[in-house]
This record gives sequence, structure tokens and C-alpha cells, in this order.
Amino acid sequence: MKIAVMSCIHGNYEALNAVLSDIDDHNVDKIYCLGDLVGYGPHPNAVVEMIRALDIPTCQGCWDEDIVEGLNACECSYPSVLAEKRGKLAHEWTNQVIYPEVRQYLAQLPLSLRDDNLCFVHGSPHNQHEYLLPEVDAFVAMERVLTTGADILFCGHTHVPYVRSLDASQMQIRVKLADKSEQETSFSAPLKRIVNAGSVGEPRHGRPNATYVIYDANTDQITLREVEYDYEKTCAAIIEKGLPPIFAWRLARGMEFAERADDPTHVCER
Amino acid sequence: MPSLNITLVSGPPGAGKTTWIRQQVNSAAETAVYLNLGSGNTPIDSTYLATEVAGLTVLPVEQLTDFLAQPLVGSAVYVELGFHIDLTSLILPDQMADCQRVTVLPPATRQTEWRNWADLVVTGVKTGMALSQPHLWRSVLSGQVLDLASLNTFWYELTHGAYGTVQRAKGIFDVADGRSLYFDFVAGLAETTYLELNLPLWCNGRPDRFSGIEVVGEALDQEAIAETIKACCLEDHVIAYYQQQIKDSLEPGDEVA
Ligand SMILES: [Zn+2]
Ligand SMILES: [Zn+2]
Repeated sequence: MKIAVMSCIHGNYEALNAVLSDIDDHNVDKIYCLGDLVGYGPHPNAVVEMIRALDIPTCQGCWDEDIVEGLNACECSYPSVLAEKRGKLAHEWTNQVIYPEVRQYLAQLPLSLRDDNLCFVHGSPHNQHEYLLPEVDAFVAMERVLTTGADILFCGHTHVPYVRSLDASQMQIRVKLADKSEQETSFSAPLKRIVNAGSVGEPRHGRPNATYVIYDANTDQITLREVEYDYEKTCAAIIEKGLPPIFAWRLARGMEFAERADDPTHVCER
Repeated sequence: MPSLNITLVSGPPGAGKTTWIRQQVNSAAETAVYLNLGSGNTPIDSTYLATEVAGLTVLPVEQLTDFLAQPLVGSAVYVELGFHIDLTSLILPDQMADCQRVTVLPPATRQTEWRNWADLVVTGVKTGMALSQPHLWRSVLSGQVLDLASLNTFWYELTHGAYGTVQRAKGIFDVADGRSLYFDFVAGLAETTYLELNLPLWCNGRPDRFSGIEVVGEALDQEAIAETIKACCLEDHVIAYYQQQIKDSLEPGDEVA
């Protein structure tokens, strides 16, 4: 079985289309999406309609939740007051243009998905708003994977793709913190992995290209894909729709729309 | 009338006028007086020099007449002229007629207007661009306190062309932790971080001292610049919160205002 996993489309329809056609070229059996379908980008409705039309299993992202529940993200999840103000502008704009059926669809999205030994979440198994950055403490990372019972945890939310392997030695240290029952499973657990799918519509790796991952279960191979697309079309749409022009400037440079979020230790306690 | 040792300093934006004056003052034994013509109500260079250069007195333009009537004998007087001041039509008080004219120019530039005017041409720094029609945008920010993370983002965007082509940008900003920071950018020069001005930590309400920004460039989106700066500014209750934190963490000997 071969699957494609994508995350964080953020209303960027051009990027989504490019990724879907790249997926087409790779003969995958199934596509999973880790949420953040909307937010910042100019085409939230079109993105959701496309995901629904293709029947892509999707979990709920932080932005999807906020559009349903009202702006709910804790203030500390923004790295600066400027980022917060820009985030609120994007939220208000999205909230105004979104169709009622799109909102309903986002509301019923599950927080996690399972497929055999694979688990799919937006931020972390604890919370859609938690960042599992590559440098997160190994014990914490392992704990997050173990809570799911899966061997590979697919996540997004940080907008930076990565693959991280957690080996048994780290696990053994980890069990000292766990209760007895977990101790048993921990010792016998095979190698665990965290795979971050990056971001289709709002990359922050310094280039405007979309990223996603392909996992081939037969060969146990994970491939990070980086796909070029006509980002200038998205930039033009941002300006045409009345979103802040700075979003377009930043998107074209692979710097995210508002500002990067970079507190790896922050766990939202809401 | 005592004769005054006056030096007028001109040159394009970012060439290094203020730096040259600073070097002269630092290398001379005598005290110095500094006057900036053309900075209007955004005295960024004056504020910077006043805090960073010992033995330098900054003279506000309003006090020039009084000063000339009763000058500080034996001190060197440096008058920095903004790049946008028309040198040919500049008329200075009689007492200043007998002065040395220095122009600071980037290497290998003609800049004939400045060359013709000057007695001495100083080779300044090589700047990355020379705009034919530079536009000057300024804003006084005194009383505002900015969030530093936001300010860093804004400064990066500004100096990387998000709001138009920027040749030169400088600013003095009060930030949440009580410091006053000096930001300085010249296109083509290595990027520098901000400099912490030698001023007391401000921890009692809105700062009663100068802060402001000046941008020289082309096709500047002034409205977006102003809006973004506004979005970096903190509200009263947030300022109060941070100032309480400053007070709680003060060490003996810390200077506060
Ligand atoms: Zn996202
Ligand atoms: Zn997210």
C-alpha cells in the first residue's frame, strides 16, 4: 500500500491542485489530509470543496477548529502581537466568506485518523495547537507516539516537513516516566517514527513550493515531496480578495503568511 | 566675535555622515557640538549621538541663534545636512559663513552637486543603491512601546522590500522590556542587529523620550508601513504588565526612568 499525506493547505487552491497532480503521478492508493484546510489563503471554500469531492479522509486542524468554534487559539500560540493581529485579520476574513456547509463540514472532522499501524493528527495527539517540531525533546516526542499506539505518527501544523526516528534506547529512558503497563509495551515496541507532512499552501522553508509526503508500506519508505506551483496566482488572489498584501509578499518567499510560530516548547493548556 | 570652528557635513543617505562625525569627535580632544538640519521632528541621529558619544552636546535647531550669540569657545561644531536639503539655496547665519564644507560620498560616485559644493570629499561606505528620486518617509513614535518580536518581523520585511524599495532606514524604538533600541539599515551593507541605546530602562508609563523612524526609498507603501508599525505597538495594560516585570527584576545599580 502506498499513501500520500498532506497538511496545511490554508485556502491555497493553486498549491492544492499542483500537489494533487503530483500525487496522481505517483500511483498512490489513498490520500490523507491532516487539516488546516482554511485560514490566510484566498480560496477556503474551493479547497474544502475539492477535498470533499475527492473524499479525502481529513482530520481537523487548528484553523478549522477556530473557524467553527470562534477564534479560540490561546494568545500564547502567536509568536508576536503583529502575528496575532494578522492572524485575527485572516480569521475574520475567512469567517466572513466561508459557506455554511463548509463550516459544517469542518465542524464534523475527527481529531485523529487511524489506518492499521499509522496514526494521523494535525498538531499532536494531545492537541491540534501543539507543535511537534523536529527538535522537541525525544522523551516528549516518544510519549506522543506511544499514546496513539501506532508505529508511525503523521502530523502537520509546523509547516516544516521532517521524518524523525525514535529508537529503543530513547524509549527505555522514557519508561521511567511511564506507568507499569506502558513499561511492558515500551520495551517490546519497534522503532517509532514521526512524519511531518509540511504544508501544501503555506510553506516556511524559504521557498514558495508546496510540500507533502508519500509513504510506501511495502518498502517502508517515506518520501518528502516538494512541488512547484504558480504561487503568483495565489499572491494575486490574496490582493484581489482584499487580504493583506504582506501575506502575498511572505508567501512568495516561503515565509508563511503572517509570521512563523516557533516556540517548540509551548503546549497549549486550554 | 569669537571665531567658530564649524564643519558642515553633507552627502547622500547611508553614505556615512553621522559615522564620520562620530569618528571626528571621538578622535579629538576638544568637546563638540552637533546640530542636524533637516531631521525635523524625528531627530534620530541627534538622539543616537547624544547617548552614544561622550563629550558631544546636541544642539536643537531652535537654540542655534542663542548658541551663535554665545558660542562655546574652543569646541568644534558639526552641522549635519539632510540629503534632501538643497545645498545651493541653503542660507546659513553670517557667523557660520566661515566654515569647512565636507561631503561624505560612496566610493566611485560622481554626485557632482555635492563635489562642487564641498571643500573636502570624504570617501564613505559603498551603498547598494543610488535612487534618482529618493522619497523620504518619517514618523514620530514617542510614547509608543513596541513588541520586539513584532518589530523584528517588521524591520525584516521593511528592509527586504515588502513595502517598496528601501535605500536607507533608521529608527529609535522603545520596546516592552524598557530599552530604547537603535535600528540602522543601508541597502547593500551587511545586515546589523539593533544597538541598545545607553538610556535608562523606561518602566513608568508611556516613555517621555524621543522615538521614531525614517525611511528613504522608492515606491514606498507609506500606509502599509504606518499600519504595520501600529500593529507592533502595545496597549496600556500590556505596557503596565511588562513594566511591573521590569521593576520586579531590577538589580541594584540599574538605571530606570
Ligand atoms: Zn497550518
Ligand atoms: Zn495548524
